Amino acid sequence: MAARRRGTSPAAGPATTPGAVRAPQRSWRRIFDNRLLPILLITPALVAIGGLVAYPVLRTAWLSLNDASGLQALTTGAMSFIGLDNYVAIAQDPDLRRSALTTVLFGLSCVVATMVVGMAVALLLNRPFKGRVVLGIIVLLPWAIPHVAASYVWQWLFHDQYGVINWTLSTLGLGGFEGFAWFNQWHTAFIVIGIVVVWQSFPFVSIALLAGLQTVPTDVLEAARIDGASAWQRTRLVTLPMLKPLLLVLLVISTIWDFKVFDQVFVLTGGGPARKTEILTISTYQQAFTQSEFGLGSALAMVLFLILLVVTVIYIKLVKDEERVS
Amino acid sequence: MTIAPVDLGGGDSPRLAQRRVVTAGMAKRRRRVATIATYVAALAVGLFAAFPIYWMVLTSVKTQAEIITPEPVFWPSTFDLSRFSYVLELGFTTYLRNSLLVAAGTTLLGLVVAIFAGYALARFRLPFHRYVLMIVLSTQLFPLVVLIIPLFIVMRNLNLLGSLWGLILAYLAFITPLMIWILRGFFLSIPTELEEAAQIDGCTRFGAMWRVILPLAGPGIAAVSIFAWIAAWNEFLLALTFIRSDELRTLPVGLVQFVGRESTDYGAIMAASLMFTIPVVIFFLFVHKRLTTGMVAGAVKG
Repeated sequence: MAARRRGTSPAAGPATTPGAVRAPQRSWRRIFDNRLLPILLITPALVAIGGLVAYPVLRTAWLSLNDASGLQALTTGAMSFIGLDNYVAIAQDPDLRRSALTTVLFGLSCVVATMVVGMAVALLLNRPFKGRVVLGIIVLLPWAIPHVAASYVWQWLFHDQYGVINWTLSTLGLGGFEGFAWFNQWHTAFIVIGIVVVWQSFPFVSIALLAGLQTVPTDVLEAARIDGASAWQRTRLVTLPMLKPLLLVLLVISTIWDFKVFDQVFVLTGGGPARKTEILTISTYQQAFTQSEFGLGSALAMVLFLILLVVTVIYIKLVKDEERVS
Repeated sequence: MTIAPVDLGGGDSPRLAQRRVVTAGMAKRRRRVATIATYVAALAVGLFAAFPIYWMVLTSVKTQAEIITPEPVFWPSTFDLSRFSYVLELGFTTYLRNSLLVAAGTTLLGLVVAIFAGYALARFRLPFHRYVLMIVLSTQLFPLVVLIIPLFIVMRNLNLLGSLWGLILAYLAFITPLMIWILRGFFLSIPTELEEAAQIDGCTRFGAMWRVILPLAGPGIAAVSIFAWIAAWNEFLLALTFIRSDELRTLPVGLVQFVGRESTDYGAIMAASLMFTIPVVIFFLFVHKRLTTGMVAGAVKG
């Protein structure tokens, strides 16, 4: 690419310029255009990413190895290196240990539910029926709602006294749901949080998968149909294998999203009751900004990051294996 | 219904054809069941996606007596629009202004950075090109909580915690990488011959980019602008951590504060949520397609 560009650039100079001046001018310009300009263009981005992402990540990693409690530790740098003690503290604290475990279990459940609902809706939208276009737009809406607003809407739907959901369930004959307080037990609270998370993340999966479904060549599907494959068999044996790379990508994007959930939990339960719905993002915020335990908070953030890293490495390995096979 | 006989005529295997003959009558019925199932499923999906939003809108305009009822009212007898002005008077005008400032600032700064970087990554062979691309992509992996403590320290030391600039800078951390990535894809889809022609016509290399390519990338630039705008408008965690004074709060944090004070007035909460939501939904419907393909393409190529 660079060679081609260099070859075309002599034509850039005006033809009427005297030769003596033209040669150095052109070469300076060529050096600027090919060497300096790209670096000038990328520098702001590198500075931004370096200063706002790379530096903070390294600083968090360093902080996680220190005992940094109280604001003084941050402003004066008065902290002491304690090695992995913060990580040991997380492993020994029953609440924080549960928080890490909950993050993984809750995150994975949300990913599975998001993928299943997203896939089902994509397959539905791929069928011809009246109102398909309208449904395609309606399905997008939950994705567009800000997390905080969505959390309040669902909190209202699940309200114990005046919520539509309790009314519907008790009208359907489930007596136990009259005045049922969803946020008083951790497991029912997680059901509501999970519904909100899935509600907001399935549209992306559906729309991406729908685009993928429409790239599956119709002649292959037609061939399978003529060979007697049922609709379910065509989906399972033809469509899904063809979408495998896309599915893997969506799996990772959903994982990154669902393990990072903060807003919904903060609004709906704040980690309660009795810290039982705390996940790592909430724990980090609580330890760092309400307890001022910045070292411990950093260690919690690093645990979350390491979990995501492991998941992503597994994903990259899966994609590599996939490429080797095909 | 009309396809089945045609299939029988052209059936390549007699055994298969015979099986079809047997099921031809059933096939019709089965297709009708499938059609009904499709519509039932469509209705269920539509309800799941839209009912919460319908309920938010409805609650915000119902009278108090129709909100607080053991049996829900699905269509109000009168519409009460007074809540919107009531909510605005309670400080939402300030939150709205702050959110607009932060969203606009993030979008403009992000655009400058992302247009330049996206163009450079699409058109030039940079030193460490592969690594620069990898770095841009890998930023998506970091949860905000990993960045938040050091960013808080930096903003504190730079005395930016008391201003909206701190938020704008912090938002650039997670918004620009995706903007760069989507814009790079856009620039890649524009043929290089256009710049070469512009340069032959006397443009500088930078001029060729600025005057020829940028206008062509207009739709892409519009899409990432809206993406950045929405991301900054919705962001909650950083705004919650960094902003301590009420007159600098943005909408999501303002909403949480508001609920903390009026926790039982669901009509007002829904009205505030609705005002917070509407601009996003409008913008979002314009860009969702580019956003989806951009994110998926980014991950696939990585």
